[in-house]
Amino acid sequence: MRKSLLYGLAVAAVVLAGCSDATTGGGSGSGSGSITVAGTYPIESLDPHGAQGGGTGTQLAAREIYSRLVGPGTDGKLKGDLATEWKPNADATEWTFTLRSGVRFSDGKPVTANDVAASFKRFMDLKGTNTANFTGYTMTATSDTQVVMKATKSDAAVPGKLATFYVIPAGVGPDDTAFFQKPVGSGPFTVDSFTPSQTLALVPNAQYYGGAPKVSKVTIKKMPELAARLTALRTGEADVVWGIPDDQLGELQGDSKLTVETVPSTAVFTMWFNSSIPALKDAKVRRALWQAVDFDTIVKQLYPQTGSLSDAPVSPITLGYVKQQPVGYDPDAAKAALTAAGFDFSKKLRLQFANAEFRQFNQAVVSDLQKIGVQVDLLEKEQAVFTKDLLALNWDINFQQLSNPTFDAANTLGRLYPCAAKRNGYCNPELDQLLSKAGSSPDEAERTKLYGEASQIIWQDAVGMFPMAVKYAYAWNNRLQGFSPDPNGLPDFATAQVNGS
Amino acid sequence: MTAALELQTVTVARTHPRRWLGRVPYFVLGLYALVGGLGPLFVDYDPVHTSLQDRLRSPGSEVSTGTAWLGTDALGRDVLAQIVYGARTSVVIGVCTVLVACVVGVAVGTVAGYFRGWLDTILARGIDILLAFPAILLTIVIAGAFERSVLLVVTALSATAWISFARVTRGIALSLRERAWVDAARVLGVPRRAILGRHILPFTIGPVVALATLEFALVVLAEAGLSFLGIGLPNSAVSWGQTIANGKQYLESAWWISALPGIALSVLIVNIGILGDQLTARYGRGHLN
Amino acid sequence: MIRVVVKRLLIGVLVMWGAASLIFLIVRVVPGDPATILLGPDADQQQIDELTARLGLDDPKIVQYGRYLADAARFDFGDSYRLGRPAMDAVLERLPASVELMLTATLIAVVLGISLGLLAGARPGRLLDRVVSGGTIALQSFPTFWVGIMLILVFALTLGVLPSAGSGTPRHLVLPAVTLALPFTAIVARLTRTSVAETMREPYIQTARSKGLTEPQVLTGHALRNSLIPVVTIVGLHMGGLIGGAVIVENVFAWPGLGSLIVDAVASRDYEVVQAATFLIAGVVMVFNLLADLLYTQLDPRIKLDGVS
Repeated sequence: MRKSLLYGLAVAAVVLAGCSDATTGGGSGSGSGSITVAGTYPIESLDPHGAQGGGTGTQLAAREIYSRLVGPGTDGKLKGDLATEWKPNADATEWTFTLRSGVRFSDGKPVTANDVAASFKRFMDLKGTNTANFTGYTMTATSDTQVVMKATKSDAAVPGKLATFYVIPAGVGPDDTAFFQKPVGSGPFTVDSFTPSQTLALVPNAQYYGGAPKVSKVTIKKMPELAARLTALRTGEADVVWGIPDDQLGELQGDSKLTVETVPSTAVFTMWFNSSIPALKDAKVRRALWQAVDFDTIVKQLYPQTGSLSDAPVSPITLGYVKQQPVGYDPDAAKAALTAAGFDFSKKLRLQFANAEFRQFNQAVVSDLQKIGVQVDLLEKEQAVFTKDLLALNWDINFQQLSNPTFDAANTLGRLYPCAAKRNGYCNPELDQLLSKAGSSPDEAERTKLYGEASQIIWQDAVGMFPMAVKYAYAWNNRLQGFSPDPNGLPDFATAQVNGS
Repeated sequence: MTAALELQTVTVARTHPRRWLGRVPYFVLGLYALVGGLGPLFVDYDPVHTSLQDRLRSPGSEVSTGTAWLGTDALGRDVLAQIVYGARTSVVIGVCTVLVACVVGVAVGTVAGYFRGWLDTILARGIDILLAFPAILLTIVIAGAFERSVLLVVTALSATAWISFARVTRGIALSLRERAWVDAARVLGVPRRAILGRHILPFTIGPVVALATLEFALVVLAEAGLSFLGIGLPNSAVSWGQTIANGKQYLESAWWISALPGIALSVLIVNIGILGDQLTARYGRGHLN
Repeated sequence: MIRVVVKRLLIGVLVMWGAASLIFLIVRVVPGDPATILLGPDADQQQIDELTARLGLDDPKIVQYGRYLADAARFDFGDSYRLGRPAMDAVLERLPASVELMLTATLIAVVLGISLGLLAGARPGRLLDRVVSGGTIALQSFPTFWVGIMLILVFALTLGVLPSAGSGTPRHLVLPAVTLALPFTAIVARLTRTSVAETMREPYIQTARSKGLTEPQVLTGHALRNSLIPVVTIVGLHMGGLIGGAVIVENVFAWPGLGSLIVDAVASRDYEVVQAATFLIAGVVMVFNLLADLLYTQLDPRIKLDGVS
């Protein structure tokens, strides 16, 4: 009796193993016409206005499922999505958007100005992360095809900021989980199935104004481990992966089935100094510290393909980018300057960061500083603790990769460097004035000039160190055509197609 | 238990080579202790210092400071040096955690087993509660949330490691308290502390030592796991777990970063396991836990 | 018998209360608050205060605790603001994947472990025994994450016969289950081996042999049942631990289980999900422990539950 039990178990095991081999498809999980995306970030929710709305995962999904008024194209220039025209009034306190006609939601109902205005209200009511850009602003539907945004002050960056605002049908409540399980949107795709934090399957939206996408299905699977994502790409289980570190690009570039491309992004490495602490109050000290680190070599060694030495506090594809005078590497001069300024070498500086991805970079920086006798405590913190400490200014040097989905310096320089922002302890009234003027002038050329002057102050006063501009590396299977890498890490699949293979 | 003991002695008497084999773990562990203890005197290593031009060199390559016998990692730091210094960290963390767990566990277990009653019930339930969630989760929560340090890792690991010690000593205390000499001591009015110290505790030493060796192995592995997840130790610490984790992305291109410390770790654990086995066989008890 | 089960259940409830309270305490002690994380660094203090109030976190801890217990008793763990769904729903969604992984790993470990242990324990001291003993020590010595990654490299990348990560088909289950099963197999094998070796020295085995039964018949017909008793207990206990404890395997293989759900929830200070998940795991562990104990008594009529503590 016991014997047969044992044998039974053994047979069951064999059968189980046999069953698994019966599944067809092998390495390529995608059938013809469908794409599998191996994503880094989880998509927890499909609500573009909710708590997760600003998160990368939700933004990626939102781009495919819903439409926004305007959004940046792959070249960084704003393109109209739901809006065909947008104009500010004389002092940029009001923006008028003319809506495209003939746009329908996936359930067939037309998209009206009322939907847009109602979505904006819901967006503001839910107080997600991106609503801080629009505090006190309102949007009203002035006609069936026009909405007007009234700002509380002159704001030239409104269209760029709206890149994260998506439109859903009016009448969806704040906690409508059922709606977001199978949402109705006007984007190129609709949701076929959604398992939060794991998989999102999209199918073409027949009602899409730009014509239904040619791929039959897009499946976005979360794979948190880099090795797993890359392996999936190489075995054919995944068709697209992005955010690939340099060290792994070589293997992919050698694979003839894959196309590898890097695209300049809006993301920059930013290493603020806490200018409010006594040790770093003096701009000379800060400049000296910057001079002491050989960023050129570090960037070349660690990020040969996806990094380039920064020459401004914002990335080259941002509005407001003006090239600055590079800070050279001169450890001896740096040490001399520090000694002259009375820097206390016995005190440790606390450098904080929050992502294992940046560990190597920061370790290299600490090593260079150590060479001239500056002691740095490298603190890798969990995101929750990092954010808490960031806001409390409980750090001496703060490392972050700051990206800018609006492509407009107003969102970074204008938001993070004024005195009132209290983000890095640096306060300069002259800078505040420049930034505020740059944010309100409707003339792009003038804005760029003003941001250039502001950048110069930030650069020369070494409010932080600005080591590197980031490029995103994308790799995709050659069977995927019509795919363009996106500078924001939020690629669009509406124009993609699959080669019969 | 005696059956297994007889078995062991019979086999040992029959075949001499087995005695030598049995000694191998001691040699290996001694070697590790030597390397961990004295190695840093001969090998220079500064975890903070990076040497980017020497990144990802294979074992035996020439680097700016000499020869990297076991290659370099992604920041140009010597892997051999990391293994030597890492031995020390792993051992220190292992020993500290086991000591703390031992002290706490033995104390709790003896008291619970000897005094029984509500004290025992509370402690037993407390242990059940702690065991209700998987140890690794608790460790991750503790280690992940606070500022990194060796102390944090030791705390996080001991938080669950003490339980096995408590159980084993509790079992021993429970059975011993009924023995004749303990009874006699009680009747004679010997203070409880003395009874515990002189009549109960000495009997726990054997099984506790056996258990300690096994727990040591588990702790070293757990620390590697924490480092793999990227939490616990600060960046300036050197540990095998961190080195293995640092090489995680380079398994195909620079396999030596993860493989070699992984081998060092596994060899250590295997030998501890063999040693623990021998000790358990000799002192019996508790191996069902 | 019923009385014992009821008593065990009551103790189980007590333990679950204890576990629930412990996790309540731990997540609130850990630094960092949910509102700041949810809203990000750009939120102003007013937004943060509003969200904190909305999450019910500005009430005194005692009030929060009372509310938490009262809700937990009705299995209501509140809504996860981060996920926009009831917390327990999010947790239950992940349960099947964890159970699947756990059951498969257990099956592998039990089949392989008992077979190896049986063969080794039947002839203690001989070559097979030494190989098995050595092998099991080795199996328990390799770091799980290392084994997992090596398996991916060999089977997914080099040979291309199995998927590297994720879930969905039975083939996705193979590598994670095997990685999880290896140390488990070692434990089962060693336990079985020792148990079998001891049982084989019992007088009744001699009797069976002298009756003329062949060795395999003796082994499987007489020795096996009794040898398995301690094994069963350990397997039961271990299974409970695998539900939430497979975090590292889940991380390496992107397996959507409870372990990684909890780790993510802790990182985002999603109190509701952490509390709900812990409660569920504690419940599962309690059930497994009870089942293991009951099975224990069934296998060996000499054991009375009250005597086992």
